[in-house]
Amino acid sequence: MKIVQNPLTLIMNIKSPEDFAQLNGLLTKIQSAPPEQNPIWVALTKLKTVHFARFVFLSNNTQLAVITTYDGDFDKYINDFVDTIGDVFNALLSHMQGAPPLPVQQNRDAFLAYVKQNDLRGMDPFYSAYPTASVVTILDALNQG
Amino acid sequence: MVPLDDVQGLILRSYGMDCAAFFLLRVKDAAAARRTLGSLSVMPGTVWEQKPPFCVNVALTYEGLAALGVAASSLDSFPREFAAGAFSRCAEVGDTGSCSAESWEYGLGQPGLHALVLLFAQNDEVRDAQTASLREKLISSGAWSEIATLPGDVLPGSVAHFGYRDGFSQPTIDCGLENPFPDKQPIAPPGEFLLGYPSQFDQFTYPVPVPDELGRNGSFMVLRILEQDCAAFDALLKQAQVSYGIDGELLAAKIVGRWRNGTPLSLSPDSDSPAPPLEASDWNQYDYVPSAAVPNAFNDRRGARCPIGSHMRRANPRGSTIAGDGASKHRIVRRGIPYGPPYDSSKPDDGVKRGLLGLFIGVSIKDQFEFLMSEWINGGTFAPGIYGTTDPLLGNSTDGDNTFVIPREGSKPIVISKFPRLVTTRGSAYTFLPSMSGLRFIANLS
Repeated sequence: MKIVQNPLTLIMNIKSPEDFAQLNGLLTKIQSAPPEQNPIWVALTKLKTVHFARFVFLSNNTQLAVITTYDGDFDKYINDFVDTIGDVFNALLSHMQGAPPLPVQQNRDAFLAYVKQNDLRGMDPFYSAYPTASVVTILDALNQG
Repeated sequence: MVPLDDVQGLILRSYGMDCAAFFLLRVKDAAAARRTLGSLSVMPGTVWEQKPPFCVNVALTYEGLAALGVAASSLDSFPREFAAGAFSRCAEVGDTGSCSAESWEYGLGQPGLHALVLLFAQNDEVRDAQTASLREKLISSGAWSEIATLPGDVLPGSVAHFGYRDGFSQPTIDCGLENPFPDKQPIAPPGEFLLGYPSQFDQFTYPVPVPDELGRNGSFMVLRILEQDCAAFDALLKQAQVSYGIDGELLAAKIVGRWRNGTPLSLSPDSDSPAPPLEASDWNQYDYVPSAAVPNAFNDRRGARCPIGSHMRRANPRGSTIAGDGASKHRIVRRGIPYGPPYDSSKPDDGVKRGLLGLFIGVSIKDQFEFLMSEWINGGTFAPGIYGTTDPLLGNSTDGDNTFVIPREGSKPIVISKFPRLVTTRGSAYTFLPSMSGLRFIANLS
């Protein structure tokens, strides 16, 4: 059975300790806002392809990981992704080494290439308790569709 | 402002003509072929004071551009999927099994097609006369060789071969031309259908192929030759009551999302003739769920009126809850005309081929046509309740292995397994519709 969900393990290299400090401040501010004012929550709620998403600083705060479980083919939804959450990535990527040209809205192919290049995904197999259930299916079953 | 006189008219308006002839051509003599392109009276998008007796439009494949002498640096600036050609993109589109390129007709399963010259005419006398004239100019002159010429004819009652009236839902493009059946979806920016303008996506304009004179105001068009199995469709409807417990006409409406006379299920779930009758202008003014544009829409989020897996709701889910940033970012312009004579149910095995010559237009074949085919027509996860199914008309499930689910209010859904294949791809081509300036640019190449 084909699993409809996919893992994203995007590891980005932070330019400098100063960049880490700014990123940490930015993400703390975003993530401490109430959901309806948190641009990441608002975007992902609208997008309905992402099951879970979290941000983790790694390697002594020299890397930032974006770890998600999402539905389907990332390439297919790149335009939808950029349109809903592009500005968050513009803010994050401005602190990263080897970042693609910004804004991502105007450099979509380069952003997609960057994500693919820095996505470690994970060791196969990817486990799912409900391999055929997409976000929209789950929300519908919960009467939240 | 879009210069309507520089854009091929087919992109911006439906001609509403009863007859067509599509010339499938290959360059024989490049210089002569360029000259003929320069001498054709191609129909632009300018407003008609009077409907003309016929219209001609021209589309070129990637190989066609190369054969006409377009420089490599220019060819390299066209999108990859267009360069690859329809026969290389079968996996993306779902042209597999009996629909695969190996079995396409007219040699379309491999490189060879260079140009489509599309003739639309008000009646068959005009078509015959213009076909002769075009053949003289294009073929007899030694400029092009004729791979095939495909006639198309509107059927009595203005229906397609399965008996549905079609063509109501088209995006309204912000270019000053009126949409005869406007919907409640956002007006499409010109850059969703023409190269050189801001697109439907945030801060993004699709790269214009170079030079600007060739690329700007052009668009891309996919030709689809879709054979329809009228006998199988007829048999499906006839056995519907006995086999599935649903009236045949209601099943026909559930498959497409409209009754065959064009009345949408969303507005009239129980009858194709609601009282009071719907105005024709209402036929496209609906949504599947209450939305900002249609706040009083019936909440049909589970598809009890219009199945989520129906052809129309897959091809344009409107306000339905779906994966991604909404249905309005992946719209497409649809033109087309039936081919083959009307089906006679007293002669189910007449051996005659019939179907649709479909033309699907957008600024990006990848983000519009291919997205629609892979995610919505053949996908089972973009919306709830359709996992493991594909579109009942165009889906790529292995022949006879599709499932069609008809949700019902208050009772179990009707599940039709072994849903038959009704439509088979017999050919496809990815083409570029240059602007009028683009056609002149090619004509003047040396």
